[in-house]
Amino acid sequence: MKVIACYSMKGGVGKTATSVNLAYWAAKSGAKTLLIDLDPQGASSFYFRVQPSSKKWAKRFFKAYENLVKHIKASDFENLDIIPAHLSFRNFDTLLAGFNKRKNRLKRVLKGFNKEYDLVVLDCPPSISHLSESIFIASDMVLVPVIPTTLSERTFEQLMAFFKDNDYPQDKIIPFFSMVQAQKSLHKATMEAMSARYKIFLNTVIPYSSDIEKMGVHKAPVDTFAKSRQASYAYHELWEEVSETAKKLA
Amino acid sequence: MNSLPVNTWELNEAIKNTDILTAISSEFDTDANPATASTLQFYDDFDAHLWHAGYLLYQVDKQKFQLLDHSGCIDEVKATSDVRFWWEFSESPVKNKLQKLIGLRAVLPIASLNLLETDFSLRNDNQKIVVKGRLTQSAVGGKITCYFTLQALRGYAKYYTSAVRLLRPCIKAKVNDFGLRFLLMGQAIHALEPKQYSLPPLTEDMQTEPAVRAMAVAMLDQARLHVGGVIADTDTEFLHQFRVNIRKLRSLISLLKKALPATMIDALRPRLSSIASKTNKLRDLDVFLLAQDNYRAMLPENFGSGLTELYSLIKKQRKQEKNKVAGYLSSDNYRADLAICTAELSQHSAYQTPMASTPVLQVVKKLLLKRYHKMLAMSAAIDSQSADEKIHELRIEFKKLRYLIEFFADLLPKRRTGKIAGKIKKIQTILGNYNDYCIQIEFLSSYVDDTRIEMSKALSGLVAILHQKKLEERPKVENALADFFTENMTIEFDLVFEAAKTGDSK
Repeated sequence: MKVIACYSMKGGVGKTATSVNLAYWAAKSGAKTLLIDLDPQGASSFYFRVQPSSKKWAKRFFKAYENLVKHIKASDFENLDIIPAHLSFRNFDTLLAGFNKRKNRLKRVLKGFNKEYDLVVLDCPPSISHLSESIFIASDMVLVPVIPTTLSERTFEQLMAFFKDNDYPQDKIIPFFSMVQAQKSLHKATMEAMSARYKIFLNTVIPYSSDIEKMGVHKAPVDTFAKSRQASYAYHELWEEVSETAKKLA
Repeated sequence: MNSLPVNTWELNEAIKNTDILTAISSEFDTDANPATASTLQFYDDFDAHLWHAGYLLYQVDKQKFQLLDHSGCIDEVKATSDVRFWWEFSESPVKNKLQKLIGLRAVLPIASLNLLETDFSLRNDNQKIVVKGRLTQSAVGGKITCYFTLQALRGYAKYYTSAVRLLRPCIKAKVNDFGLRFLLMGQAIHALEPKQYSLPPLTEDMQTEPAVRAMAVAMLDQARLHVGGVIADTDTEFLHQFRVNIRKLRSLISLLKKALPATMIDALRPRLSSIASKTNKLRDLDVFLLAQDNYRAMLPENFGSGLTELYSLIKKQRKQEKNKVAGYLSSDNYRADLAICTAELSQHSAYQTPMASTPVLQVVKKLLLKRYHKMLAMSAAIDSQSADEKIHELRIEFKKLRYLIEFFADLLPKRRTGKIAGKIKKIQTILGNYNDYCIQIEFLSSYVDDTRIEMSKALSGLVAILHQKKLEERPKVENALADFFTENMTIEFDLVFEAAKTGDSK
């Protein structure tokens, strides 16, 4: 089982769209996939029309795998299950604060899914926090959407520095360009510069697309309502590249 | 782990798709996918090996087959409708499985199923799919049976319960283990009925003549079952099994001849011998052709053309011989011989000899001991200089000894006899290998022909290699005989088969 986190400390970069479409393509390719929506806003749960069942359960999240299992819900798609987000997840950081060893908890808890799933996708909230650190430890791959702008470049540098300062393996970080507008010269220039500086960027580029925005209207992954559109192809390609990269991690 | 309910029900005959939708739509929005129609052609061999091992092999389109195992896993393989043997399927895990499951048997179409399947999704108020359903309509001989399957989804079990409740008025009965196997079971397919004959039940105090007659009739019936496959040339196993049954029958009669009327023996012996001998050559040719890959591997590549010439000659001969055997097995002569054998064996016991009325177990035990001691003496006379014929004679004796144990296995002490039978089987393999080399050398030598230089070169090469292998095998024969005929074995035979009472020793 591989754990892939879709992470960025910046909001609005396409984390949720990536998590949703990646999990969808993984499941479609035959991998038993679990998407865990860690973002209390619950956008990826929303895209799959899945609602959380209990009122408050963040406290139990890190306790044991058995607690998590009860919250798994089937998506409308074969091989794809979801643990929906809950507003109480906003308290994760308080729960994790204080004890350094607690950072390993998420990794331990996720191990329980080993038998049932081939892939766990974590849709992460945009912050750098105790939860993010647990995620960095638990994940085999930290997939980072980067909008090719100066600000995003700076955020990405901060993430790399954070990994370095805290001795997290930097090779877990797999960035790719997201929400790209090819006609913008700034996007083009930033992509060229960043690709030259960091050789770790994936080849796949996710374009800025109204089809991705329409996911909110359709409450579904792009492929289900915009099959032969560029955005759908891009996510499929992203999954293929990510799955190849994940194989090399083994 | 996930253990969500999936259940199937047979629906009432009068129920239509629209009735089901009406029933369910009071609480759910339903989407129905377009129905998919399929005709599945199922294949199995004569012994229904696949069915009995829990597998189903079926053709899904012109080029594609699927193998479904007992756990519901489906593997695909490429092959065309006229596929028969495992080696004709494309390289795949299915091909390897089939090799193990059917061996030399051919698969033939045994049944077909027409299915119309419609998948449903049941949605809640949020338009989330909360239950999945499938309507399966199976058509057999104009009769359509409908089944409805409901599958609960993780986190949405309560909706499943509601759907089952709504469906209840349409249900005729719940179906356990729904699937293709279930649908086939409803068809009473003749090809899947067991064909392995079981010997008639014997009791230890049963008199010998009626016991032998009952077994002989069963063997003859079993042999007869394979005739159709020999004539149609479905696979080589039909002839092999036909011959095995005739051989067993001849052994039985020869071993227990003293329990049968002499006139009957006189009527049976020449007829059964004639039936068996008519098929000898075809079997030899089959054995050679089945081993052709081994032969090719034995020789360097430059002998290839000579071997190809030999194979084409043998294939041609096999075709002629097969027609000859098929002609014979369809002839009045064969039918008349078989009818006489059946009539003789089916008569009431005549009790013309003292052995005829002796309890069969007593006779068999005595016979086993007698034969063992005879073989012990034969074995003592064999050394490294003995002629191949002597080894061949002893091999035949072992075969008869094992048959005798097999025929009456139910009456003999199970565990200890089983151990003896195991040891006999082991030595039979060694003697069989040695004999195979002798036969192959003789068989191949008969094809040497001065006018066919390349072919004769290949033959000489093969004969030389086989001769070498035979020489290497010979010491194994003597060692195996020494391992078998030990003092302990003699004591064991005396103990197991001389004991007055039956029953397993603790």
